[in-house]
Amino acid sequence: MHPNLSFEQAPPIWVPYRFFLTAPLFGIAAGLLLAWAGPDALASRWTPMALALTHLMVAGFMLQAMCGALLQFIPVAAGANIWRAGLVASLVHPALVVGVALLAGGFLAGPGPWFAAGAGLIVTALSGYVAVAGFALFRAPAQGATIVALRVAVLALVVTYVLGFTLTLGLRGSPGVPLLEITHVHAAWGLGGWSLLLLSGVSYYVVPMFQLTPAYPVWLGRLLPWGLLTVLLLWAAQLSGRAFGWQSWVLLAGLLLAGTFAVVTLRLQALRRRRVPDVTLTLFRGGMASLLAAIVALVATIAVPPAPTFVAAFSSMTFLAAPEWAVAIGILTFVGLFVSVITGMLYKIVPFLNWLHLQRLGGLTVLPPNMKQMIPERAMIGQMRLHFVALAALLVAVAWPPLTVAAGLLFAASCAWLEWNLLSGVRVYRDFRDRIRAAAACHAP
Amino acid sequence: MSSQRVIDGRDMQPPEPLEQTLAALDTLPPDGEIVLLLYCQPHPLYQILRRNGYAWTETMQADGTTEIHIRKA
Repeated sequence: MHPNLSFEQAPPIWVPYRFFLTAPLFGIAAGLLLAWAGPDALASRWTPMALALTHLMVAGFMLQAMCGALLQFIPVAAGANIWRAGLVASLVHPALVVGVALLAGGFLAGPGPWFAAGAGLIVTALSGYVAVAGFALFRAPAQGATIVALRVAVLALVVTYVLGFTLTLGLRGSPGVPLLEITHVHAAWGLGGWSLLLLSGVSYYVVPMFQLTPAYPVWLGRLLPWGLLTVLLLWAAQLSGRAFGWQSWVLLAGLLLAGTFAVVTLRLQALRRRRVPDVTLTLFRGGMASLLAAIVALVATIAVPPAPTFVAAFSSMTFLAAPEWAVAIGILTFVGLFVSVITGMLYKIVPFLNWLHLQRLGGLTVLPPNMKQMIPERAMIGQMRLHFVALAALLVAVAWPPLTVAAGLLFAASCAWLEWNLLSGVRVYRDFRDRIRAAAACHAP
Repeated sequence: MSSQRVIDGRDMQPPEPLEQTLAALDTLPPDGEIVLLLYCQPHPLYQILRRNGYAWTETMQADGTTEIHIRKA
């Protein structure tokens, strides 16, 4: 079944846009910070610099884009009304921006009071956000795969930030906080729960609608949220402090579920009805390829001793246990998967929202500009190429650290170009909105 | 004799079917009809039609196509 969208309850256009326009700024900050840090920055995932960079990407770039998209998506896809969406956005958005900046700064400077303040701001902002978005989602009249995915995703967001806040308490010296175990569970719920389920739920709409593919199979929509939720609950068993031999198999099951989503998406895209080049399609394919590469790399990691080795051939490949390997998996996940697909979605959502809001303003008397005039196609293609070059450079920099500065600058430049492209879409909206208002004022009695 | 214009939006990216339908409404003769073919129900279009004095009927075909007939009310 192909999805239907309703725009009667859509929030004001600036509600999602303030989040969308902020997301690339965190990418720019991450790229510049990486360039400033230099060759040692990518040596391990546990260095203060790596933790700061990770949170600029996941709680900065990704969370901004995802929070904005969900505020737009719940009313139009689920038919649910978000309570005071404008007020929620104007409180949550600045609190998240300041909170993530303080958190990243705290990782670099040490877990002082500002670090705690940043974590507290994020938890407060997200608690308010989840209360409003979760209430709308759980009261939504619509049913189906997307709603289930979004509900479990929001639940996973709560688990993620509660564990994250617990980690900040542990880093500030609170006794009895098992930092390593909580970090593993925090990362899994954030990436495999909140991020991947939100991506899948939105993809069920956006991929068939904008890429003209067949609909996602019903079985995937049922399997993914409940399967991932089961995996994440079992994965959280390590919080008890006991080591379970079956944990590697749980991780493997989760990776297989994520891989199934990637393979089905690539398969649907291969069956698309209109075979014309499309930036969003290419970015999505790059994202799914990155996800599959990250999964293969993670499977290899858990197959290496001292973890239970179920693939004998891996036992001699000791480089898989090197700390750089985990950094490469992170780059594939954050930049390769999520930045790629978020960029691809923004390149469709922003022109589409521009068009819809302008159409509602102008009625049948002033038709809005064509979708293709909202963001220049050449600018999107150029930015996409730079993004993939930056991704390749970041991956090479893991193995050859002298490239780190250039890779950071390339990534900052690709995010800056994304910001510029989104701003050009906003400029088109504002110019045309002003023309519609001027025309209406001229014809007013 | 009434004129009929068919817009097959099934292989178009949104909002191209809406763009073409709105352009066709401008030149729709009083007894004319627009037939729009889509794989979804275009709620934004229905809002526009409702506000601007058009009537429509929709039927679902076996292959999942929604066939929408639009006329002046």
